[in-house]
Amino acid sequence: MNISPEEAARALGEIEASRAAMRATIRGFRGHYYLWLWGGIWVAMALRAEFHALPGLRMNHWLIYPGIATTFLILLYQGTKIRSPVNKRFLGVLAAIVVFSFVWPLVLGHSANAKSGFAYGVLVPMFCYIVAGIWFGCYLLWIGLLISALILASLFFFPALFWWSVVLCGGTLIGTGFYVRYFWR
Amino acid sequence: MDELDATIHQPVRLQIMAALCQLNTLRQVDFTFLKTKLNLTDGNLGAHLLTLEEKGYIEVEKTFVARRPKTFVSATAAGRRAFDAHAAALRAILKPKTS
Repeated sequence: MNISPEEAARALGEIEASRAAMRATIRGFRGHYYLWLWGGIWVAMALRAEFHALPGLRMNHWLIYPGIATTFLILLYQGTKIRSPVNKRFLGVLAAIVVFSFVWPLVLGHSANAKSGFAYGVLVPMFCYIVAGIWFGCYLLWIGLLISALILASLFFFPALFWWSVVLCGGTLIGTGFYVRYFWR
Repeated sequence: MDELDATIHQPVRLQIMAALCQLNTLRQVDFTFLKTKLNLTDGNLGAHLLTLEEKGYIEVEKTFVARRPKTFVSATAAGRRAFDAHAAALRAILKPKTS
């Protein structure tokens, strides 16, 4: 098959136009809604814990359940346009992590300390982020590592854990959401 | 040296492959969504997808979402390789020849 340079240039132009249009479209599907949602929930949870200590921590499920429901709604809505097929093995791994991480503290008895309880509640989902990041080769790995390091540093070295979590950990999720939405190419 | 691929070179199929290869390998795009993005009709897009599917360049998955039939499309590894080779061949045509 032989074509002229003019035709080749035109074809490359069409490729670039199609790529640019798709790039603009898939910017809406990069996971930033989830990062904003859970970053916001995290900020709210940390503030509740700061002002209400353990009672605030125990009431946090009233923030988590709507968060999970909203996550599924976003997933369903976006899945009608661009989707990733469900990976049952990966979901099994995540379910095992979540179940074990909640069952063992109940069986073995857990700390009544609000700060370590809060930190544990953050480290479990961050562990899920790390697993997801390794599994799919995506940026979640780095968010999981960064926030785990920040939360551990704040637990052991800074007394104002909850404020630190609002600014740096919740802020990391929200900031990453803005980055992947507007700046990531 | 990479060669031009007659199947991919057709303008509509070129657009389809460029769009699909922009997605990461795990993702699939909805037929109707793709049709709207590329400004094509059902019949036109369907015919070109069939050609690409027969060549093994794309995968078409028919499923149900909320009891409604949905068709999702994604580029295969072979399709991505063929598209990259085709784009490289196009760029090679534009490069000034060195003797």
